[in-house]
Amino acid sequence: MSDSTQHIASAFDRDLEGIQGQIIKMGGLVEAAILDAAQSLADRDEELAEKVRAGDRAIDELEELINETAARVIALRAPTAIDLRVVLSVMKISANLERIGDYAKNMAKRTSVLVQMSPINGSHAALRRMAREVQMMLKDALDAYIHRDAELALDVIQRDRDVDQMYNALFREFLTFMMEDPRNITACMHLHFIAKNTERMGDHVTSIAEQVVYLVTGDMPEDQRPKGDNVSFTMPDMKG
Amino acid sequence: MYDAPTPETRLTQNTLKITARGVQVYYGDKQALKDVNVDILDNTVTAFIGPSGCGKSTFLRCLNRMNDTVASARVEGEIMLDGENIYDKRVDPVQLRAKVGMVFQKPNPFPKSIYDNVSYGPKIHGLTRSKAELDQVVEDSLRKAALWNEVKDRLNEAGTGLSGGQQQRLCIARAIATSPEVLLMDEPCSALDPIATAQVEELIDELRASFSVVIVTHSMQQAARVSQKTAFFHLGSLVEYGDTSHIFTNPSDPRTESYITGRIG
Amino acid sequence: MTDATSANVPASAPAPHKSSLLTQTALMKKRNAAESRFKAYGIAAITLSLSVLAIMLWTIFSDGVSAFKQATFSFPVTLDAEKLDPKGNRERDEMMRVTTIGYTNLLNQQLVAYLADRGISTEGVSDKDIAAFISRDTPARLRDMVLANPDILGQTIQFEGFATGRIDGYLKGRVTRDTAERDTNISVAQLDLADRMISEGILSASFNWSFLTAPDASDQRPEAAGLGVALIGSAYMMFLVVIMVLPLGVAASIYLEEFAPKNRWTDLIEVNISNLAAVPSIVYGILGLAIFINFAKFPQSSPLVGALVLTLMTLPTIIIATRAAIRAVPPSIRDAALGVGASKMQTVFHHVLPLAAPGILTGTILGLASALGETAPLLLIGMVAFVANYPAGPLDGGMLDPATALPVQVYSWASRSDPAFIERSAGAIIVLLAFLVVMNIVAILLRRKFERRW
Repeated sequence: MSDSTQHIASAFDRDLEGIQGQIIKMGGLVEAAILDAAQSLADRDEELAEKVRAGDRAIDELEELINETAARVIALRAPTAIDLRVVLSVMKISANLERIGDYAKNMAKRTSVLVQMSPINGSHAALRRMAREVQMMLKDALDAYIHRDAELALDVIQRDRDVDQMYNALFREFLTFMMEDPRNITACMHLHFIAKNTERMGDHVTSIAEQVVYLVTGDMPEDQRPKGDNVSFTMPDMKG
Repeated sequence: MYDAPTPETRLTQNTLKITARGVQVYYGDKQALKDVNVDILDNTVTAFIGPSGCGKSTFLRCLNRMNDTVASARVEGEIMLDGENIYDKRVDPVQLRAKVGMVFQKPNPFPKSIYDNVSYGPKIHGLTRSKAELDQVVEDSLRKAALWNEVKDRLNEAGTGLSGGQQQRLCIARAIATSPEVLLMDEPCSALDPIATAQVEELIDELRASFSVVIVTHSMQQAARVSQKTAFFHLGSLVEYGDTSHIFTNPSDPRTESYITGRIG
Repeated sequence: MTDATSANVPASAPAPHKSSLLTQTALMKKRNAAESRFKAYGIAAITLSLSVLAIMLWTIFSDGVSAFKQATFSFPVTLDAEKLDPKGNRERDEMMRVTTIGYTNLLNQQLVAYLADRGISTEGVSDKDIAAFISRDTPARLRDMVLANPDILGQTIQFEGFATGRIDGYLKGRVTRDTAERDTNISVAQLDLADRMISEGILSASFNWSFLTAPDASDQRPEAAGLGVALIGSAYMMFLVVIMVLPLGVAASIYLEEFAPKNRWTDLIEVNISNLAAVPSIVYGILGLAIFINFAKFPQSSPLVGALVLTLMTLPTIIIATRAAIRAVPPSIRDAALGVGASKMQTVFHHVLPLAAPGILTGTILGLASALGETAPLLLIGMVAFVANYPAGPLDGGMLDPATALPVQVYSWASRSDPAFIERSAGAIIVLLAFLVVMNIVAILLRRKFERRW
């Protein structure tokens, strides 16, 4: 849109580019954290999990920095129209990214615990697929942000349905595992939380995509966010 | 992010006060305003913004026929005040200006006493019948202009002895003393310091309960703070007109967006 | 908040100054020298103008101050009732039958007798010569006094009267023993007698109020000549000029400035008004003669005609001054008045005129001051005539009686032969200058008082 032309005050442009650059940097860190956490779970790699937990600090610091910078821009520049939406969206996106980073850290924490226990077959592949899907969504959402591509952002929002389906399947699978063998319950609980966190990550990525649409068009997307998550209604299958 | 419904949006239900259709203004051969169509609502503050020379002050001065004093100015089109065309041949501009008051950029009180400044309008239009009534009108106007407490003990002192902000409020009191229906303000705060500006803006907000206010301003923040409707003028045309909150968060026209965000062009 | 980097500075900028501030460069020195020279020229010009002014004032004052003093006799006179009122009935008509000659004889006899009484030697001076000491005007004064107040008949009063022109000249240094030897009107013996009378206190020089109040006098009686008629004539004319020029000039200016359309015709009018202000004043005199006297048949040399001519002369100046004063009113005041809903007339009369008033007033006073001193046009309409009687009061048709004016009086006296008249002419100039200075001071005070209104 028209935010490609320069401001008369070039320092304003530099400020805006600064915070957007920081968002991209934060997004990169979070993407890496997702992939590393999934990897560490799959490979039962405690060192990698530790790295993910330590890396969350950098993500939190970036969020704080972005908020400070955004507040300064609002105070000093009184941005309006597209500039205002840029600043507001940056603040929202950084909050979402920070939550995603926290979930990745939580995943890594639970991985450290799971490593002590015996592995449960079958789930890791699905979990890794889910994490990979979320990471792709995040990458696309951030790309849509850089290129101001509302179409791509809307597409990302739709893909959250797949993530939700994956979670539904995993939920039933863990129920089955837990009913089969009560010794699996601890591990399955942790794995379930990991799956839940990944599904929540997907929701946050959707929120980021919605911010992109708001930034580009000035309105939040009209369609309802797809709610594929129906576990609240799932009854356990009590058959033998 | 959702726009919570602000009290201002309910004001679009207000009545129309001034409607302009197809207004063209020429200074000699040069066309200063092209085809302006706009509706000014009652009990609303409408802001005219735009770069220098875009025609906003020219259009403002059409609304009370002050352009008549410029020999080379020619106005075409219709401007209706409460359904009556103010450029009709039967209209006396003097009578119009009692209904449509004006406050100028540089405070210009008469070199008379404060009392005489405010009472001049009502006197020449014969709006009061006795001295007591006139005193009351003066007091009411000064109270509405938030100046009464500062000058009530020195009504006979010269109006020019007040500070800049007080002088501008005196000019506002003078303009509202004739009980106008519309108040026109041409960059009223540009000669004032920030505190005086804030006082005048507060005053404008209070005044809109009684009149319709049209304000021309160079400061976009002031337009955003003070008005409910905003019109953006550019190179003699009205580019966009709408609710202030809409114009400043998501304007429809790219020229408006460029101007508001301070981009070149 | 942009940082100006060195990339923004053009490469062709001039080299920064490296020299010390404490020393002057050659360019500075030259410029300062030129400025000092210019200041010196200015001071020289002012000094020259002031010294010329000083010389002029000194000349006038030294010549004219003596006009305010007059040699006066003071001795007791017995008003012999038998001679002055032969019928004895104090009837004015009867007493008027005793002409000035009767009074002259009375005074002469009384003076001679008084001198004899006081024991003042009258050696070498005949009685006729003693009589010549008394101004020819004085007996008429005594007669007027007696006719106005018959009750003093029979009494002895301390009479004060003017001495004759030559004696007056002797007291003021114009007439000396050397000139007296060549003068037929005065002899050295008379001058000696005058000295003796001075030492006895009979003859002295006292302040001469009648210089300002008496009407003009004939060539033989310069000591009786006064500015009375001239002052009244000038006063009548100034009064008429003010009431004619102010409304006309101000109304014309207001119309031209506020209401007239700006087209070729009004431009033409403006140019012509400026031209009229530069027309030589004598042309107005010819105009006045042709129109007011020959065509309209107004009485010649009356203050009315003089005032009409002066009005025409002063009108362009007033119009120009008023227009400038009106233009000086800031347009913001006009806008404010129009914005409140005042009509054009109300704006002009309630706002513009009060603010322009000081300027208009100053222009009017200065215009009047210059009209006061105008001579040429008044000469042509006949005010140079010799007028010995006061014009009547303003309501009795005094505006139509013949009169004269101050500057014209100066001209008239300066062209007479008797040196006493020359002295009086200089005295009249002093009076004229005094009026002009007062009017200018009033103009300056008014301007200062009203200046900082807004």
